Amino acid sequence: MLMIRAIIRPEKVGIVLSELSDGGFPAVTKMDVMGRGKQRGVKVGDVIYDEIPKEMLMIVVNDDDKDDAVKIIMKNAKTGQRAAFGDGKIFVSPVDEVYTISSGSNEL
Amino acid sequence: MKEVIAIIRMDMINKTKEALMLQGFPALNANKVLGRGKKKVNFALLENILSADDLTHPHDFASPAMAEAFSEGHRLIPKRMLSVVVKDDEVKSLVETIIEVNQKGKPGDGKIFIMPILDCIRVRTGETGELAL
Repeated sequence: MLMIRAIIRPEKVGIVLSELSDGGFPAVTKMDVMGRGKQRGVKVGDVIYDEIPKEMLMIVVNDDDKDDAVKIIMKNAKTGQRAAFGDGKIFVSPVDEVYTISSGSNEL
Repeated sequence: MKEVIAIIRMDMINKTKEALMLQGFPALNANKVLGRGKKKVNFALLENILSADDLTHPHDFASPAMAEAFSEGHRLIPKRMLSVVVKDDEVKSLVETIIEVNQKGKPGDGKIFIMPILDCIRVRTGETGELAL
């Protein structure tokens, strides 16, 4: 199993969540985060904002579903045709085991 | 080393913290998150609510306002996320403790994810590996 952590623009959360749901990934955890990227934040005049508010989505999927989920996030988190800096990043990491607390079973 | 990420009900955090403390896991990170699971709204139930236009009990479960709230579908629910990093051989007892405390047997009790951690560094001393845990 793999954990997908996507850091995206707050205004894109709605569309990404509903498209994920339609695409067969209903289970998602969302949290508020602050961060900066390779562009070192946003510079407005003399002020540099290097803690930009973003939302992090956390999804755990089976290995073969990873590409689907990533594709859905990529497609919907982009801004415009050409996309822009600050659209976000997606990180994928391995998950050894999963437990469902209500049943105690170790499956997704 | 493993990282155990548990997503549990909002009101279970104190009990869980206490149980983990007694089991010898005092160190943890906790976070407020929003999440949704596999379970969707029961549409059969929703239909019953929508067809019941009995306005004599406006605060009843069958009120149109309630039905509307339900029909928005897949909402995000507030949850607590715990993250604990432990040695490989402690994972089992940690998972068992979390399940024991949080299990009500209903959907929404939460999930536990176990992920590998390659290294760990204590900032104060610079120790690495399991020494730093």
